Amino acid sequence: MSIPGALRREVRFSSRDPVLWLWLALVLGLSAMSVAFGLAEVERQNETIQKLIDGDRHDRLAQYDKQESWGSAAYYSFHLTYDPPSDFAYAAMGQRDAQPWMHRIRMLALEGQIHERDVANPSIALIGRFDFAFLAAFVIPLVLILLLYDLRARERIAGRHDWLEATVGQPTSFWLLRASLRAGAVFVTLVVPVIIGGMVAGASPAKWFVATLGVFAYVALWTMACFFVSSWRRPGSVIMLALIAIWVAIAVIVPAGARLAIDRLVPIPTGADILLLQRETVNDAWDLPREVTMAAFFERHPEWSEYQPVEGSFEWQWYYAFQQVGDQRTEQLSTAYRDGRLRRDHMAAWVSILALPSLLERFLQSLADTDLRAFFEYEEGVRGYHAALRDFYYPKFFRNEAFDRTLLEDLPSFKPGNPGMG
Amino acid sequence: MSPIWLVATDEWRFWLRSHIAIGGMAVFLVLIITTSLLAALRIEAETYARINQQDEAEKTFLTQPDRHPHRMVHYGHYLFRTPAPLAQFDPGLDLITGQAIFLEGHRQNTAMFAESTASADFGGLSWLSPALVYQLFAPLLIILFGHGSIARERETAVLSSLLAMGITGRKVIAGKTLALLSMAFLLLLPLIGSGALALSASEPVSSVFLLFGLYFAYLATWVVLTLMASVVLKERSAVLGVMAGLWLALALVLPSVAVNVASNTVSAAGKIASDLVMLADLQELGDGHNAKDPAFKRLRADLLQEYGVEGVEDLPMNFRGVVAMESEKKLTDVLNEYADARMHAEIAQEKVVAKFGWLSPVLAVARASRAIAGTDLANYHHFQRMAEAVRFDFVQGLNHAHVHQLSYRDDINRNRDEDARLRARVDASNWRVLDAFRFQAVSVSERFGNASSAVYMLMAWLVIMLAILFWRGDKLTP
Repeated sequence: MSIPGALRREVRFSSRDPVLWLWLALVLGLSAMSVAFGLAEVERQNETIQKLIDGDRHDRLAQYDKQESWGSAAYYSFHLTYDPPSDFAYAAMGQRDAQPWMHRIRMLALEGQIHERDVANPSIALIGRFDFAFLAAFVIPLVLILLLYDLRARERIAGRHDWLEATVGQPTSFWLLRASLRAGAVFVTLVVPVIIGGMVAGASPAKWFVATLGVFAYVALWTMACFFVSSWRRPGSVIMLALIAIWVAIAVIVPAGARLAIDRLVPIPTGADILLLQRETVNDAWDLPREVTMAAFFERHPEWSEYQPVEGSFEWQWYYAFQQVGDQRTEQLSTAYRDGRLRRDHMAAWVSILALPSLLERFLQSLADTDLRAFFEYEEGVRGYHAALRDFYYPKFFRNEAFDRTLLEDLPSFKPGNPGMG
Repeated sequence: MSPIWLVATDEWRFWLRSHIAIGGMAVFLVLIITTSLLAALRIEAETYARINQQDEAEKTFLTQPDRHPHRMVHYGHYLFRTPAPLAQFDPGLDLITGQAIFLEGHRQNTAMFAESTASADFGGLSWLSPALVYQLFAPLLIILFGHGSIARERETAVLSSLLAMGITGRKVIAGKTLALLSMAFLLLLPLIGSGALALSASEPVSSVFLLFGLYFAYLATWVVLTLMASVVLKERSAVLGVMAGLWLALALVLPSVAVNVASNTVSAAGKIASDLVMLADLQELGDGHNAKDPAFKRLRADLLQEYGVEGVEDLPMNFRGVVAMESEKKLTDVLNEYADARMHAEIAQEKVVAKFGWLSPVLAVARASRAIAGTDLANYHHFQRMAEAVRFDFVQGLNHAHVHQLSYRDDINRNRDEDARLRARVDASNWRVLDAFRFQAVSVSERFGNASSAVYMLMAWLVIMLAILFWRGDKLTP
């Protein structure tokens, strides 16, 4: 029997199976829905950002009009920073519901501001969105299990199993053909909406192509798993239970155990310590001799070391110097906090090789720039921008430049996705 | 022996002979007990850490030296949210909401440092808690035990002889239901363990009972659904397939779809967005640091008239303090108005999700469970409101000291020289405006109230399904 002939026969056979059509329709519907909601959410977030950019500028300009010194201009003006959703975010919203992707910062100590969390409704983040990544990583394996577990068992019950094996010559390739045909149909119905979504969103084809490859490999792996387990000479119900047990193990138990283990293995400083230390440093400065604060400040900025603070009077130079010293004091803790989270994420990336659904979800999130790495990059961008604000204002303070409202136009503006911007 | 009892004990005998049933049960029990123990240890450590942090924060505040009172307004204070005792069973929002909040004058900050932001990320299902094990995986076990209950008897032709013996279909079904319910009861025993630990952390026994009843009703719903499939469908594998598909739809797909619908139909502006709108309102209130701000002209005129004096220096109190107090009050009204609007938007979104409880008992039980455990949205809002009350009280307490214990003259001259700075201070005993803070979950009666609508949904599911099962059971055919 030639391969195309076998293929044609199988297509004919499978196309007469109403259960298969039902599942394909469901997968198509769910995939289309996840993509549609994803696109709507991306649009909503972009609209929010656009509205905030306008509102932020408006508010800042209104503040500038009231100021008469560089110090107060810096004190009263906030600056919006944001991380817009990428062109593939519609498929994997990832961390965007759990991590802040907007901060409105000012020239005060950054550590007191960067841990603020303007995040979505926690009850939304708790359940999690039905995005394409969730569908592909967690739901599709179960669909494949339900479609493929009884390929042989069903024929056995129908009394055709041995007859079929006898007629096809190579039983293994026959069953493999039947399984891959069904899985292939699932794969196509799954990815078509995401590709259409990518065209609508104007995502780079490379992205959805790579995503499609990843999903293909994933579907293929699950198909193989179903194929091998279902060749076991056991009733269909036992085979299905075994496959569902595999799903529970690698989709839930391994990730949950690994999370606990990694969090224990990599301790990180508590956020409370960072906050308390930062506040103490900033507030103690009011009571400390000014030379002490300034000496710590000059370690980082020797170029301004000629400045002589005047005890007893309020000076902006000293005020912003102690804000920066507050950041300097917490630097070590703050870096440890960041590095610890990165190390946890790094270990999670390795462990997820054992937890296939998490691996695929993380893969799609990294393509969509909605993984933890993307948020660290955003945070770096905010730090870079805050540093740029300091670079702008410090010469004005320390050279005692006369306040000039028009020079504020030269303030660096935040550009997303560009850490260490200028 | 009554036939119902006979059918039920026979079902148990069958399970005890089945390796799959015993294996599944053993795995489930190991899973639930491990999860419960780990969760209990975690909550104990968290509670201890947060109480310590809270004490530390209070001690630091109270031991501050004599100062200008407004310095202390900006020095601020920290509150830490201790987990509710039942968070060890159902952590709910506890893990994904901030644990610490910085309180200071003129601002409402967000709660910072959620557990989830720092944890190794494996996606939503990896936050395994005892509650999640019951919500998602206990139904799988019930399907495993129950899918064959009628279909098996039909396949092996035992059903026809039972019916021929005069045992009615309803009695057969009642027997199977009894067997499965007793199994569900067994599955729930570890919950009592978690509950007992919570009791020692001063959780009232009524909430543990209600939680037990809730999950029993939930598992009973799955028992009835499984039996129904087993009655209607001819083959065991078909029952299993349909139930697994149903589980997939109710437990994995519908809850997340509900979230998509909610966030798409109800817009909830974030804090930055609503703060920007608010700033426009605030421009009119005046800057509380600047007693010369024209916004306070009226206040000044009123006070001068009331005390019959010419200038603010002659008032028997510190006018700068009066301004600080007045502006904090007006500002707080506006802040609260916007905070309330944000909370209402979140509640509106949650209500949309809640409606999907009519479609999925998993959503209904999850919401009721969070509400009873005191780890739901209402409780998180309760924390935010409590924090705001603490913030307002300590700021106004300090402003009160500013008004009455610091003369206007000393106050305006505070930057003149070192002596003037020292004069513009109040005694550190004034810092005792701060009360000791322990976060308490909302009261039990309030929690039950929050859970009630979800409980009704679950009851409706159970009663309707049960009615259909026994109506259909009357016509049970071999």
